[in-house]
Amino acid sequence: MANHPETELGPYVRGELAPSERERVARHLEACPDCRQDAERVRALLTELGHSVPVAPAVNWGRYRAELRLKLDARRARRRAWWSRPLPLALSASLAGVLLFFAVWNGWRSPGVEPMTPEEAIIGRRLDLLRQYSVVERLDLLEEFDVIRSLDQLAGTQEG
Amino acid sequence: MEPTDEVLCQRVADRDEAAFDLLVARYQERAYRLAWSILRNTEDARDLSQEAFIRLYQSASSFAGRAKFSTWFYRILVNLCLDHRRKGRGWRLWLRDEPDPDSGESLLDRQPAPFADPVDALGRERTLTKLWVAVDRLAPQQRAAVILQVQEELTTPEIAAVLKCSEATVRVHLHRALRTLKKTMETS
Repeated sequence: MANHPETELGPYVRGELAPSERERVARHLEACPDCRQDAERVRALLTELGHSVPVAPAVNWGRYRAELRLKLDARRARRRAWWSRPLPLALSASLAGVLLFFAVWNGWRSPGVEPMTPEEAIIGRRLDLLRQYSVVERLDLLEEFDVIRSLDQLAGTQEG
Repeated sequence: MEPTDEVLCQRVADRDEAAFDLLVARYQERAYRLAWSILRNTEDARDLSQEAFIRLYQSASSFAGRAKFSTWFYRILVNLCLDHRRKGRGWRLWLRDEPDPDSGESLLDRQPAPFADPVDALGRERTLTKLWVAVDRLAPQQRAAVILQVQEELTTPEIAAVLKCSEATVRVHLHRALRTLKKTMETS
């Protein structure tokens, strides 16, 4: 007989099949002694298994729940977003502020400018000379005046 | 009137701690027993059943309520256990009939005593022990299907929902598993 309902024997003996399916399997079993025998074996095996389920070792349920609570609390603390915690938020904001300050300050100083030498610093202090630009403009004349005065002195020493 | 599991799960989604504690109290024994049946290791069964409760807490809002809560929760637990066995050394230890490195006990000795029945003879006990050793050696999906059926008494559609496969696939898993177990019984 073709199409033995092998995979339906378990659901059949457990009474899980829909009425039409159950009717079909029942008709087959009436006509097929092999399947009938198989169905009985399946029934016996399921009964044996159901009656001999190994018993799990005992557990202290109070301790079990306490452990679970600790694990859950630890997981929640870990999962809480870092930016929602007050201390990291304050530290992060401070660090960001410092970095921003240095970035802006460096940008203001413009990258590539050499550090100021002591000589430049001294000159820088005398920049008020620029306010008397007309004097600076005639510095060469003043230098010549110094030379002329020195020549006078030189002439004096030569004469002496 | 006691709230249903589904109502409690919705409350857990709203972070109701009391609802969570109540669900744990309802399911702790079943969860541990099922995990132990798949893993056959007390520590792992405790850890993974607790992990299943943590996952339940974290993902309670994703429980749509279309399925029974128990089916949804068993799916979380069974997936954790099967993943653990796939990754862990436990699976290999059980498949090879090697002594446990910690206790030195053989695979057969590590089996717990079957359900105590005073009229059972020693030979019958040995037969049942061998039967459950054979259950342990089944392919993971077949083994899970058998345990869910005979221990948790889930129906085929419920097992299909837990294992996330079709009912036809569950029937094939169970048929193959029972065929293997029948052979074990016949040879013992």
